[in-house]
Amino acid sequence: MSPAAITEPSPMAFRSSPSRSIFKKKSSPSLAPMTSAASYLSALSEADARARGLSKSPTSTPALSLSSSITESSEDTVLNELDDDNRDGLLFPSCAPTSEQVFTTVHTEFGHCSNEDYRYVSQHIPGATLEVVEKDPPYYILLTTYISYLILICVGHVRDFIGKRIYPGAYKHLMPHNGLAPLTSDFDSFYTRRLKQRLAECFAQPVTGVAGRTIVCLDRFSPDFGQSYILTGGRTRALNISSYNYLGFAQGRGGCADAVEESIRQYGVSTLGARMEGGSCDLHVMTEALVARFVGMEDALISSMGFATNSTFIPALVDKGCLVISDELNHASIRFGVRLSGASVRMFKHNDMKSLESLLRESISQGQPKTHRPWKKILLIVEGLYSMEGTLLNLPAILSLKKKYKFYVFIDEAHSIGALGPHGRGVHDYFNVNPRDIDILMGTFTKSFGAAGGYIAGNKNLIDRLRLHGHSGPYAEAMTPPVLTQVIASMASIMGIGLPSSLSHPTRTLYSADGEAFQHPGPVAPAMLPSWINLPPALASGQEGETRLRRLAFNSRYLALGLIKLGFITYGDPSSPIVPLLLFHPGKMNLFHTLMKNRQTPIVVVVVAYPATDLVTSRVRFCVSASHTKEDIDVVLRACDEIGDVLDLKLGIRPSERWTVDEIIDRAVELVKS
Amino acid sequence: MSFVGPSSSFDPLFAFLSFSLLKVEAAFYSLPGSSVIARYVKSSHQNDPGRTVLELILVVFAIRTLLQSRTRNEKQQKHFIEFDEKEIDELVAEWTPEPLTPQLTATEKSDLAAVPIIAGANGAKPRVTKMAKPVLNLASYNFTGLAGNEHITSRAVETLRRYGLGSCGPSGFYGTIDVHTKFEETVASFLGTEAAILYAQSMATIESVIPAFCKRGDLIIADKHSSFAIRKGLEISRATVRWYEHNDLASLEEVLMTIEKEEKRRLRRRGCLSRLFGRSRIQVKYIVTEGIFERDGAMVDLPKLIELKQKYKYRLILDENMSFGSVGRTGRGLTELYNVPATKIDMIVGSAAIGLGAGGGFCAGTQAVIDHQRSNGMAFVFSASLPALLAVSATEAIQILSSTPSILESLHENTRAARAILDKVDGITIPSHPASPLIHIYLKGNTFSPSSPDATPTRFLHPSSAQNSPNLSIVTKTSSSHGSSKQSHQSPLSLPQLSPAQIALEESILQEIVDEALSQGVLLTRAKRLRGQEVNEPKPSIKLSISGGSGGLTKKEVEKACAVIKSAVAKVLAKRR
Repeated sequence: MSPAAITEPSPMAFRSSPSRSIFKKKSSPSLAPMTSAASYLSALSEADARARGLSKSPTSTPALSLSSSITESSEDTVLNELDDDNRDGLLFPSCAPTSEQVFTTVHTEFGHCSNEDYRYVSQHIPGATLEVVEKDPPYYILLTTYISYLILICVGHVRDFIGKRIYPGAYKHLMPHNGLAPLTSDFDSFYTRRLKQRLAECFAQPVTGVAGRTIVCLDRFSPDFGQSYILTGGRTRALNISSYNYLGFAQGRGGCADAVEESIRQYGVSTLGARMEGGSCDLHVMTEALVARFVGMEDALISSMGFATNSTFIPALVDKGCLVISDELNHASIRFGVRLSGASVRMFKHNDMKSLESLLRESISQGQPKTHRPWKKILLIVEGLYSMEGTLLNLPAILSLKKKYKFYVFIDEAHSIGALGPHGRGVHDYFNVNPRDIDILMGTFTKSFGAAGGYIAGNKNLIDRLRLHGHSGPYAEAMTPPVLTQVIASMASIMGIGLPSSLSHPTRTLYSADGEAFQHPGPVAPAMLPSWINLPPALASGQEGETRLRRLAFNSRYLALGLIKLGFITYGDPSSPIVPLLLFHPGKMNLFHTLMKNRQTPIVVVVVAYPATDLVTSRVRFCVSASHTKEDIDVVLRACDEIGDVLDLKLGIRPSERWTVDEIIDRAVELVKS
Repeated sequence: MSFVGPSSSFDPLFAFLSFSLLKVEAAFYSLPGSSVIARYVKSSHQNDPGRTVLELILVVFAIRTLLQSRTRNEKQQKHFIEFDEKEIDELVAEWTPEPLTPQLTATEKSDLAAVPIIAGANGAKPRVTKMAKPVLNLASYNFTGLAGNEHITSRAVETLRRYGLGSCGPSGFYGTIDVHTKFEETVASFLGTEAAILYAQSMATIESVIPAFCKRGDLIIADKHSSFAIRKGLEISRATVRWYEHNDLASLEEVLMTIEKEEKRRLRRRGCLSRLFGRSRIQVKYIVTEGIFERDGAMVDLPKLIELKQKYKYRLILDENMSFGSVGRTGRGLTELYNVPATKIDMIVGSAAIGLGAGGGFCAGTQAVIDHQRSNGMAFVFSASLPALLAVSATEAIQILSSTPSILESLHENTRAARAILDKVDGITIPSHPASPLIHIYLKGNTFSPSSPDATPTRFLHPSSAQNSPNLSIVTKTSSSHGSSKQSHQSPLSLPQLSPAQIALEESILQEIVDEALSQGVLLTRAKRLRGQEVNEPKPSIKLSISGGSGGLTKKEVEKACAVIKSAVAKVLAKRR
């Protein structure tokens, strides 16, 4: 790491701002009077020593550091959490590292895990079935779920009826006043006010700090049953199994963050304008080339917002006279884009290839409605990994359909890029399919790369056309330099930097299912990266990237299979880092969330319900990350086991087939490899 | 009943049938309340045997309806043609789709190649690839000169270390970071509204604010030359849209009056009914316009607009993308410039990317307005929230703006200096407001008219020429706008529709000017448009963004840059003549 960071005063020591620091509240009192980097560093070593005393390490081996760079990388956390003890088991690893082990990450951001058994390679095993049998719950569960919604709706209407007469003030925005129509009709907002508000506790939890392995929640309470919240000033560090942080690149320390810092110093925070006007910089060009290489396409373009990537570039692909065939569970941004494009849309049953084929046959034979003219083109839009279901796209089946029906394929890899495949290249990598067989690959940088924004990759002509005709080109702000750098650094560390021959895992020739050979994009040449990016050796060699991919694959399978063995109903493929656990009852959502959060090791979870899912299939959605250690997943499994008993959630398999939670934890490796 | 006959071999079967019938009967009567139903069926059959048949049909129909799929089945439509499998296979084999994208044309290729690429940091004097020396930048949005501000960058680094880069989630799911809330509070108190909401991109903000409040059947009155993003927001909302002439509030008032008349007529027609059923529903009505128009830099007369909206009972969505951080004493935008309380505007939409040099967009308004967007703003709900360091940079930028009025003073001085030179340049016209730091340069219409002299856009002299085509496309688009746009008053600012050939010609001339200026060390950009996707094709223009403050250009540099533009225009136009 850079010695410059030591000779220069730490950025955190600057207190010469004209305005009050927004961090003042956060910083511990011991930090305030420090003015120089030297005093800062001495405090740091003290803190480190005390931290070591706190950890359960029985020996006097250095717990956190072997070199100064590592001490530096852990400084922030240790200083911040001085008052915290490790009762929740989140701050320090349960067993102290031995002297051979070097961890360059902060444990709260990216967990320390050196056991090579806890690794797995994410790839499709030829012949394995993709059909996931969805288990239905007993009928009494469905019946009582419907009844609870019925009660909620009835009570809601009664409250509205009485409330409007007794407290008209509280309903002002729903009533006409001053001759203006109500801001929102009470019918439209009924769901928000009467159903979602009961779950307000589970949503929009304010947080602070890095959304890594753990996250710091700002404690809050509601004086008015969820209408408004007041922060109490307290903080709770919780195990984070909710953020989209598949590869664990959400880090405030480490090689990527160092590169980002350098980019802010060199480029500032913005490129001041749209890509087609005055906002393109050399970093954009480099990132686009790198992304194209990463996904294995000819060219790629990037956009500053993931949602906008779909909503502003799909209209440039299709127009009137074209047909878009869309999976029924596609993301809102895809629908937004298709609606703007003016193309006709038909939907097929989620991930159902038979439904897709019959729809294709029907639409090609019928042609356009009324006129029966042939469609200009048909674009199939699907997602690689569905964010609410955890289901994987059946890519081989789609490509064989494509050969016959000649449609174009657009795959939204928002969740699958980075998270799937032995090289993290997404769903095509997972199935070992040549990416060039797919027409358009779209994805985001938010989820696996710890950045923001999105990309579209395809052939050169297509991408150039999208650059010119997509709405974002002339009208949307360009991606900012820090975000670009994070993308470059994280992507390069997954690919590895070097000449193809110089790396431990050289370019491989891969074979797709039909025997066609294609070259896998190997490591990235140093010339493709900005010269000022100096990644530490672990990242530059691609070693850490590979470890991250393997850890994610292990954690995903472990959690998914563990939950199934405990008796829960889950959806999706076991390889998916998204693991939905079905709750069904709306009332259990709040309870599950609260019970998880109030445990000794607090766990924050995401609960989703209608309208993001079916009415009856309310669920918890776990997002597994490479930053979790096996022990973290153990904690989650144990918590689910206990809460599952309390809430009657173990509806999947018969008690005789279940494993106990201890058995699962002991036989984790066996379970994952099954 | 007796079954005596030769088919006595069937006897066991009949015996079984009557036995099972008895069983079923017994089971039916064992159900509670079944005797009542049996009695009812018997007596109704006795009284009217036809009724039994009718009720039976009714039951069958009800069951059929219940079992039928709820979704619209294409196969039952009258246009559906039945094919057998073989025919479908043939049709599938026959069908050849168009290529996914046509090949790029030569113009498109050169357009793409002409996009300037900044090497290194962007700012007032960046380096451009292919150029040795730094250039004076009039192409990038850096009104307040906050690009590369040291205080902001150091704060950004600090944030990076504490928060990492990405937020890793939508705001509903652990993506609401305290720095987002801090920005929202800062911008709300800066503008003087109750609350504000931060979106992850400024273009997506307005595209998502409009459909959050307006649905099918609602009414929106919008400026005919609204920005592209507003248009897309209107399209997504599916509301009924009526247009008024560009930046012409007299035309707006006419449209409002026409609608009021229509409403009264409708009310009169429905008078007795509405009296019977209590008050009739009030329509949701919005006016959508921009503070400074992205298309030409014109500025809306805010006090008059507010007067109209209050008089005719509309809500106002004001898109301040270009005016926030660029006009007013401290950059609060139009509300500060006209000294109007921001609370008078229902929704103010602004950009943190343009005015504040960071990223993202925001909407400010009352608490109810903001809360509604938190669960209904598409781009808010379905997108990851803004990276923390960009939110912090934007917050810091606001704090710098509010504490340093000299930034905006210098910006306005630079704008005046630029206009002083540019207004006198031959061969161009400037449609922008004198106070707007966003300056558009049009070619004077009669300079180039290769085909028809009729199309000459001498706007100020021939308002009649404006009456030709621009309305047509809109009238056909929303048939309800017939009445209003036909009789609407023609403003001197409304632009004539240009033919594609004319547009291409003007764009090529403007591009030559841009290239010429770049060779003389001034970075300009043509206003890039999505030709074919815009509804009223905007006139080709060069878009200048003046910068001020300590990080922007000095007055001397602005004057120098404008002199370069002057000479480039003269040179290119002379060559063309």
